[in-house]
Amino acid sequence: MVNKNRLSMTLVPYSFIAPVIILLFVFNILPLFSAFGLSCFDVSITLEQPKFVGLDNFAEIFGDNRFWNSLAVTLKWTVVEVPLQVVLALLLSALLTQNNLVNKIFRGIYFLPIVCSATVTGIMWKLILHSNVGYITYLLRIIGFDNINFMNSPKITFFVIVFMSIWKTFGISVVIFVGAMQNVPKSLYEAAEMDNAGKLRQFLSVTIPGIMPTLWFIIITRLISSFQVFDIVYTTTGGGPNFSTETLVTYIYTRAFEVYRMGYASAVSVCLFIIILIITIVTYTGMLKQEKDY
Amino acid sequence: MAVKKIQHTVLHVFVFIVFAFIALIVLVPILWMLISSFKPQGEIISYPPTFISEEFTLNNFIRLAKRVKILYFVKNSIIYALMSTVPSVFLCSLAGYAFARYRFKGRNVLFILVLATLMIPFQVIMIPLFLIVSNLGMYDSYLGLVLPKIAVAISIFMMRSAFTGLPKELEEAGRIDGVSELGLFFKIMLPQVKPTFVTLVVLGINGAWNDLTWPLLITGDMQMRTLSNGLAMFVGEDTQEYGPAFAGAFISILPMLLLYLFGQRYFVEGTVTSGVKG
Repeated sequence: MVNKNRLSMTLVPYSFIAPVIILLFVFNILPLFSAFGLSCFDVSITLEQPKFVGLDNFAEIFGDNRFWNSLAVTLKWTVVEVPLQVVLALLLSALLTQNNLVNKIFRGIYFLPIVCSATVTGIMWKLILHSNVGYITYLLRIIGFDNINFMNSPKITFFVIVFMSIWKTFGISVVIFVGAMQNVPKSLYEAAEMDNAGKLRQFLSVTIPGIMPTLWFIIITRLISSFQVFDIVYTTTGGGPNFSTETLVTYIYTRAFEVYRMGYASAVSVCLFIIILIITIVTYTGMLKQEKDY
Repeated sequence: MAVKKIQHTVLHVFVFIVFAFIALIVLVPILWMLISSFKPQGEIISYPPTFISEEFTLNNFIRLAKRVKILYFVKNSIIYALMSTVPSVFLCSLAGYAFARYRFKGRNVLFILVLATLMIPFQVIMIPLFLIVSNLGMYDSYLGLVLPKIAVAISIFMMRSAFTGLPKELEEAGRIDGVSELGLFFKIMLPQVKPTFVTLVVLGINGAWNDLTWPLLITGDMQMRTLSNGLAMFVGEDTQEYGPAFAGAFISILPMLLLYLFGQRYFVEGTVTSGVKG
């Protein structure tokens, strides 16, 4: 009896974690390995008659202009969106750290787009920037900017979508930064004030070092998500005009679900995975090195 | 000294104006969209465009209902948001609880495995995942929509942190009273971490309600679409039917707007903890 009880006691924790472990295995880990496997096949959406092609898909990627274009668009997104978002959120948070009513209201407003889906964000901004019905287009016309083609210009549409993305997520970064800044010990600021350090000096020498782990966290997550951009492109331009907003994930989507080349799309996914892995490792080692220096 | 004070005040006013301007950029499009969904068609396309309308009509909603199966979209979104979130948070709590409160062989290895899945971006695995789920016969089904979303590494991680801090006496008292291990979890331990539980439910509902990619891939039938992918497909790349588009966005945003108004604290807490501790 006692032995039986002890056995069932040992099994308890395993039975508690079994459901999620099985689900994670089937729906996360297995698909990751399948992506590598599929990338060596020429196979359609029905999975009938798969043809092993070795590394041919990767060779094709190498000569595929549309792949290089989507990689360039994605890198451009990283270079434009991440610094803008991080700096904007950092400055706003530094000025909104104190918990008074006005600051709370502003933070609440900035955070609000968290409830907007990419679909809602897309519909809303497309219509408010629309050349016929748009309210902002109208306001701009009054002050002399006539007929800017926001949604259909190979030059500026990309930046309009980057703006939408920042609009939707900067409040999240602000809330996380404020949370970290409120944890910086008050005594450090008092000591800095004794040394006659101005507000800017305090920001650079007390606030920034005080929130370093959070700053790295935001930078890493924003970097990674800049390589995952899909939703906001799908709901606004679909990658156009003239592929100027076609990101890597958008390109993967079109390969898989418009021309049904599952193997080729998986090969591009594998490239995406490797890029994200490298970026994570590089920024992570950067973080560890920097932490050591402090 | 007086000059410095004036400078100080001027600076404060300037900063306030910048903040207010950014707040307007966030709020104006949302308000304009909400109001415009009740405007008559003639007013929507009139020049100059209006901000506030004098005439309120439900016509846009009626036209939307004629064009797409909007009630199905709403129903599917509700099912997806609830069924992918509530069972998920229960199972992830159970796992987080086991990782936090039991000592067993392989605990650390399995926990690291869970954390490692955080590094797998959905966009990388979406194609094999689609192939696996549809070949299990779950294309266009609620099960296929929900099942891959149940196990969430970050939820397990947050629940583990929440359970780790609880005093040991809680379990001991329960075990002496002869409560079963599962009963211990549900009746004694889970109520202790209710704030984290509610936070994960609120964030999960918001995330699933707004999720676009997975429903887009795994549903094809008009009657299986959620608001997020159904409306995205309806509006398309070139919006022509402005009124119904406004109405659809209104229906899509309203429930989450209400959730935010009543549960803002959970949104903030969840975001801060997943950010600072994660």
